Amino acid sequence: MSSQTRPKLLWLQSITCNGNTHSFLNHPDLFLILSHFELVHHPVLETAYTMEDLLQKKVSCDVLILEGSFQEEGFLKDGVEVSSLIQYYAGQAKHIITAGTCATFGGIFKQKDPAAISGFCFDLEERTMRYKTYASRLISLPGCPIHPKWLSYVLLMIANKRQIEIDTLHRPVELYGYTVHTGCTRNEYFEWKIDTKNFGLKEGCLFYEQGCQGPYTRGSCNKILWNDTSSKTRVGTPCFGCTEPNYPQESLFSTKTNMGIPAKMPLGIPRRAYLTLTGVVKSFKIKRFTERLLDYDK
Amino acid sequence: MKKLQIKQLIEKIEGEAELDFTFSEGKIEDVKINFGFYRGIEEILQGKDPRDALVITPRVCGICNHAHLIAAVRAIENGYENSGVKVELSSKAKDIREFTLACELIQNHVKWLYMTMLPQLEKYVNQESEENYAIKATYLSSIITKALSIFAGQWPHSSYAVPGGVTCDPTHLDVMQAQSLVKESITFFEQVMTGVSLDVYLSIDSVSSLHEIEGDFGKLLYLLGSNEMAEIGQSHDRFIVFGDSLLSRSGKSIVTTISNVESKYVEEALQEGTLAKAVTYKQKLYEVGPLARGMVAKTPIVKNLHKRYKDSLFTRIFARVHEVALLLNHSQRLLETLVLDEPSCVLDANIPLFEFEGTGVVEAARGSLIHRTTVSDGKISQYEIITPTQWNLSHGNQEEQGIAIEAMVGAASIEEATFIFRAFDVCSVCTTQ
Repeated sequence: MSSQTRPKLLWLQSITCNGNTHSFLNHPDLFLILSHFELVHHPVLETAYTMEDLLQKKVSCDVLILEGSFQEEGFLKDGVEVSSLIQYYAGQAKHIITAGTCATFGGIFKQKDPAAISGFCFDLEERTMRYKTYASRLISLPGCPIHPKWLSYVLLMIANKRQIEIDTLHRPVELYGYTVHTGCTRNEYFEWKIDTKNFGLKEGCLFYEQGCQGPYTRGSCNKILWNDTSSKTRVGTPCFGCTEPNYPQESLFSTKTNMGIPAKMPLGIPRRAYLTLTGVVKSFKIKRFTERLLDYDK
Repeated sequence: MKKLQIKQLIEKIEGEAELDFTFSEGKIEDVKINFGFYRGIEEILQGKDPRDALVITPRVCGICNHAHLIAAVRAIENGYENSGVKVELSSKAKDIREFTLACELIQNHVKWLYMTMLPQLEKYVNQESEENYAIKATYLSSIITKALSIFAGQWPHSSYAVPGGVTCDPTHLDVMQAQSLVKESITFFEQVMTGVSLDVYLSIDSVSSLHEIEGDFGKLLYLLGSNEMAEIGQSHDRFIVFGDSLLSRSGKSIVTTISNVESKYVEEALQEGTLAKAVTYKQKLYEVGPLARGMVAKTPIVKNLHKRYKDSLFTRIFARVHEVALLLNHSQRLLETLVLDEPSCVLDANIPLFEFEGTGVVEAARGSLIHRTTVSDGKISQYEIITPTQWNLSHGNQEEQGIAIEAMVGAASIEEATFIFRAFDVCSVCTTQ
């Protein structure tokens, strides 16, 4: 495909740590994916246009990737309000991808000034006043950071002119229809309500004591593994709910409980159903779950 | 002669910076370095659970997030110790942390070599090649961060280091997979980066044997040497390292003397015209980073280069790429000797400690990174982050210009000066946080 016919891709940063940029650089097929597009500007990769061209609005774009939280006034690059830049390029883009929780919902940096800082089209779960203008072209990719394959999924769907099915917060359902709990290697311990005794052990579920938000956090971290290898929960770290609109919550390493029961239920599970099941499984003592995993039957 | 002021936006440096150059008689006399935006991570942490810093602080920086995690966990552990709780990590936990940190440094240095230094140098000396350097950078960085994520779950933004150790409980299968990824990285280093075996490379200790280095690093050294760039970019020739690590012990190096340092003498001060704070040690400016580590550790080839070219651009660039070899070698050894049947974490998940103060220091890619946490009533009351770039990129004080500024002073063009600037591996997001 010649560069004339390839969609122009622009990666624009607002208030960010660059984590989404670096996460995407880990994609094993990075340059194959980018070959479907003409990359007009990017935070670290070499591009035909400079930041100055971008600031002077000399560039045009078809696909806009936004990274970082949005602030209407006060975040400038070389004297230019980044918010005006974002709205200029979003105005002409056929697809707007908010890459990461910051760009989507506000994320960590929102907490510095909650009244002024938000996502581009959402402020936590609420629609911003910009939502209406851009909604028909908007794809939300929350995650702190995004998984490289979540972004490549969206880019390749666009390149192949396929319709991306989304939910009410504009997240692609093929990526966010799952919870982080799906595919977790500690699922047996979850089923039998066995909590881990401490950090640093293969055994036990992190949902009951250690703050794991996997059962109610949307994302495919345990289905599409990180760095093609692992995930937080697979290495014994709780899920911190980094794809959720209200991320980050407080006290991330301990579970909020009511009368010993996790305060927040797994996605879509009624409390009564959860309690009934818990009552049943807790009435059994399963020997295999009382000892080290690799010692059973030894 | 009239002074000339020129403003330049520098991009693709983990964010952007604005440099205001003052020229006098055709040479740069002064530079003001301005970074854009303060995100307020230290303020965001106030009132949070002390361990939340393990999740929040990596988000200071997308490229050195893991170093922030290690500094944050060390700050809490140091705080526990200051309050009488003994924290004696297992050698397994220590080694795994060292390994994952080494992986992040390798990732960083290789990206800087291929995505900043080589393309910028080719542009500067007008010898642009058709090479896609980024594909080499991302090939190696994605392999080595994969090795990291075997233990840490993911990169960027892992929070697998917790007070008392690490959350992972690896098997031999995991270690084998990491070993093969390190081996693959070494092969890249040998065949693509340097054209010599790692062993031969590591035996190079004199300036006269530098010609043995081929590959992309050899090309970089050749371009620097043949364009008379070996002696430019000298600064104050003072170096400091705060974190004991595989690469260096802590200490400071002035002329030929190495002496001890204590992080309590580090001071931060606000600067006019920029959101970055300046850092000094006993009111003096120091360079941090790979060159500082090489000087304090007395790495033979770094010392010999320094003898010939002082703290020039050439010595600085060499010291950073050289760390890739040292780190690959160390990582290989760490995995070979890793003992798996020790505990991963020696502390309980919940330590009932509500008042403490601790400092965590780590050698990050760009130099010493310091976190200080103050906890009262079980919540963070104050958090302080001092990043390596704050040392290297400060404006300076009354007596002297900042480290990077001093290195740029005397340059004859903006192109020369910005290349010297980029050689410090500038990170805008870390500098202002």
